[in-house]
Amino acid sequence: MRINKKLTGFMVLLVFLFSFAGSLAPAPVNAAGSGKTYVIGTDTTFAPFEYQDANGSFVGIDMDLIHAIADNQGFKVQIQSLGFNAALQALQSGNVDGVIAGMSITDERKKVFDFSDSYFEAGPMMGVAANNYTIESYEDLRGQRVAVKAGTEGATFAESIRGKYGFALVTFDDSSQLVDEVKAGGSAALFEDYPVLAYGIQQGNGIKTVTDKEKGGSYGFAVNKGRNPELMQMFNQGLAELKSSGQYDEIIAKYLGSADAASGADIDGEQAAPQANRLELIWQSMPAFMKGLGNTLLYTIVSLVFAFILGLIFGSMKVSHNKVLRGIATVFVDIFRGIPLLILAFFIYFAIPQAFGFKMEIWQASVLTLTLNAGAYVTEIIRGGIQSIDKGQMEAARSLGVPYANTMRKIVLPQAIKVMVPSFINQMVITLKDTSILSIIGLVELAQSGKLVIARTYQTFDVYLTIAVMYLIVITILTKIADRLERRISRG
Amino acid sequence: MDKVKVVGLKKSYGSNEVLKGIDMEVMEGEVVCVIGPSGSGKSTFLRCLNLLEEISGGQVIVDDYDLSDKKADINKIRENIGMVFQNFNLFPHKTVLQNITFAPIELKKQTKAEADKQAMALLERVGLVDKANAYPASLSGGQKQRVAIARALAMNPDVMLFDEPTSALDPEMVGEVLGVMQDLAREGMTMIIVTHEMGFAREVGSRVIFMDGGYIVEEGTPEQVFGNPKHERTISFLEKVL
Repeated sequence: MRINKKLTGFMVLLVFLFSFAGSLAPAPVNAAGSGKTYVIGTDTTFAPFEYQDANGSFVGIDMDLIHAIADNQGFKVQIQSLGFNAALQALQSGNVDGVIAGMSITDERKKVFDFSDSYFEAGPMMGVAANNYTIESYEDLRGQRVAVKAGTEGATFAESIRGKYGFALVTFDDSSQLVDEVKAGGSAALFEDYPVLAYGIQQGNGIKTVTDKEKGGSYGFAVNKGRNPELMQMFNQGLAELKSSGQYDEIIAKYLGSADAASGADIDGEQAAPQANRLELIWQSMPAFMKGLGNTLLYTIVSLVFAFILGLIFGSMKVSHNKVLRGIATVFVDIFRGIPLLILAFFIYFAIPQAFGFKMEIWQASVLTLTLNAGAYVTEIIRGGIQSIDKGQMEAARSLGVPYANTMRKIVLPQAIKVMVPSFINQMVITLKDTSILSIIGLVELAQSGKLVIARTYQTFDVYLTIAVMYLIVITILTKIADRLERRISRG
Repeated sequence: MDKVKVVGLKKSYGSNEVLKGIDMEVMEGEVVCVIGPSGSGKSTFLRCLNLLEEISGGQVIVDDYDLSDKKADINKIRENIGMVFQNFNLFPHKTVLQNITFAPIELKKQTKAEADKQAMALLERVGLVDKANAYPASLSGGQKQRVAIARALAMNPDVMLFDEPTSALDPEMVGEVLGVMQDLAREGMTMIIVTHEMGFAREVGSRVIFMDGGYIVEEGTPEQVFGNPKHERTISFLEKVL
C-alpha cells in the first residue's frame, strides 16, 4: 500500500506538471480524480466478465470496460484478482478502491456499498443442445430434467417455474458441467445466467437458445459507502460516454458474439466462432497445466512431510503403554480417517474461519486438510509397521538397559520403515490424487487449472483427457522410482 | 551375599494368576537351573527378575535394588542383568559386531574403538571372531545364540538370565551354546537358567528349582532333585523327561 501511495503521489505530480502544458487529450470532465491510480478488485474466474486468457492475462467484459472507462476519464487502474468474496472484504477494509466483478446490485449490498449505474442487464435464460429441435418453449419441458448451477439466478428462476411446467431439477457446481450434462442428453435444457450462457455459445460450446432472456439482476460497479465519490462519478460518466460512442457495444460483442446481445435479443449456435484447433488449445494451455502440476506435486510433498511428522507422533502414541496417549491417537485417526476429504476441506476453509472469525488462505487450508487426512493414514501405517516387528527386538534392547525411546528410534523404527515403505508409496499416490479434491476450495492445482481452461473454452473432453494423462504419467514415474527405492531398502 | 532375593512374588494376567507367591534367593556365583512343565510359570518368573514382566505383588531385589519400587531406575538396574532369549532376538539390521557394541556405546558412552575392542574379545570367548562383520541372517542358530550371549556380556552384568536358551536350536547345535554357558559358570558368573536340558542342569547347576502351577514345588542340589525327588509332581515330571 505504501508503494501505491508513492506511485499515486508521483502520478499526481506528473499530471500537475502536464496540465501546465495544456491538455491536448479530450479534457477529462472530472479533474479531482483524474490521473490518479485506483486499485480495483475483481473475481478470479467469472467468464465472460473476468477470466485469464491463454497468456494468463486478465480479460473479460469487466476488464475491458474498466480500462476503457479509465482511458476515457483519464485515470489509471490497477487490477487485483482476489476472488469474489475476498474482493468485497478488501473493499470494505479499504484495501481496494472499487470492485467490478459481475456483481448484482441488491438492496442488501446497497447498505454497505455505493453502486454505479447498471452496466449490464443479466437475468436467467434457457439453453438447449444445438441439435435439439423438440424443446422450443418452457411448455416442452414437462416431464423432462433440467440442469442448473447452484446459487445462480438461473437456478432460482427454474425453481420458480418448475411447478408450473412440471420438470425435474438437477444442480451442478460448474457452468461447463451444465453444458456437458445437456449435450450428453442427461437433461433436456439448462437455465444459466444470460451472459455466461451467451459467452459459452460464442465459444462454440454446442448450446443454443430458443427463448427470450428473463428479467433479472443488474450488474454494477461498487465503491465503499461514502468513499471515492469522484471515482463513482467518473465511472458513470465514462459508461455513458462509451454507450453513446458505441464502444460499449463493441466490448459486449467481443465476448457475447453480437452487439445486440447486450439485451439478450439474439444469440444462437450458428453464429458461433470457429473453434480453435484442438491440439493448439491444449498446447496453449500447457503452461497453465504445468504450473498446476507443479502445485499438485508441491502440495503433495509438503503435506506428506507434515503428515509423516504427525504420523510419527500419533503412531508412537498408538503403540505406547499409556492408555491416555493411545486414546488421543485413536481419536485423531478415527476423526480424520472418518471424515471425507471433501467435507474436511470445506470445514477447514469455510466453517472454522467463520466460526472463529479469522481468515485462512487457500494454501494454508489445503496443506492442513491434506496433512490431517494423510496424517491419520500414516499414523496407521506407522503403527502397523512398528507392531509388525517382533516384540523380542524391544525386549532384547530393553533388557540391556536401553531406554524405550532410544530402542524405538534405533532398533524398532529402522526395521519397521522397511515394512512401511510399500504403504507409504501407496499413500503418496493417494494423496497426490486427492490434491485434486482441493480444487473445490479454489486451489489452483492440476485439476483446477484444467477446470479454469474449460470455463473459458468449454473443451471438456480434450482438457480432462490431457489432465488425466498428466496424472497418469506423473504417478507412474513416481511409482517406478519408489519401486526402485523399495528394492534398494529391502536389500539392506 | 544375596545377588537376587525374591519375596512373595506374584504375577497375574487379568484374573489369571501365573505366579502365586515365589520365594527364593540366589547367592553370588550360583548357577540356578529352573525346570518344570510348560505353563508352570518359569519363564514368567525369569522375566519378572528384570521387569520385562510387571510385578503384580511381592518383592524382587537384585544387587540391593528393589525392582518392585516404582521409583527404581529400571534401565540402570537392567544394565547389570544380562538376558539371553530363546529366539536370540539379535538385531537383524546390525552386524554381529554392532549387535554387541550397540548397548555399550549407547549407555556406557564408550567410544566405538573401545567397544569394538571389547566386542572382539567377547567374540573370541564365544569362538566367533570370524563372524564379526556378518549379519545375523547368515548365522546358524547356535552361532546366533553365542552372539546373543556375547551381546549380554558386553554390559558386564553381575547376573545372567537365560530363558530356554537351547530350545529353538537344532540338536547338533545345543552343545556349542551349553559349552559357552558352562565356561561362564566356571568363571563364577551368577546365572539363573530356565531350561529343558536336564543333563546340563545336573552337571552345571549348583541348585535346581522345580516349578509347577505358579509355585516352587521343590528345590535343592541337582543330586537331591534328580537323584531323590521328594514331591510327587517332581517325580512324575522327571519320569516324563528323563
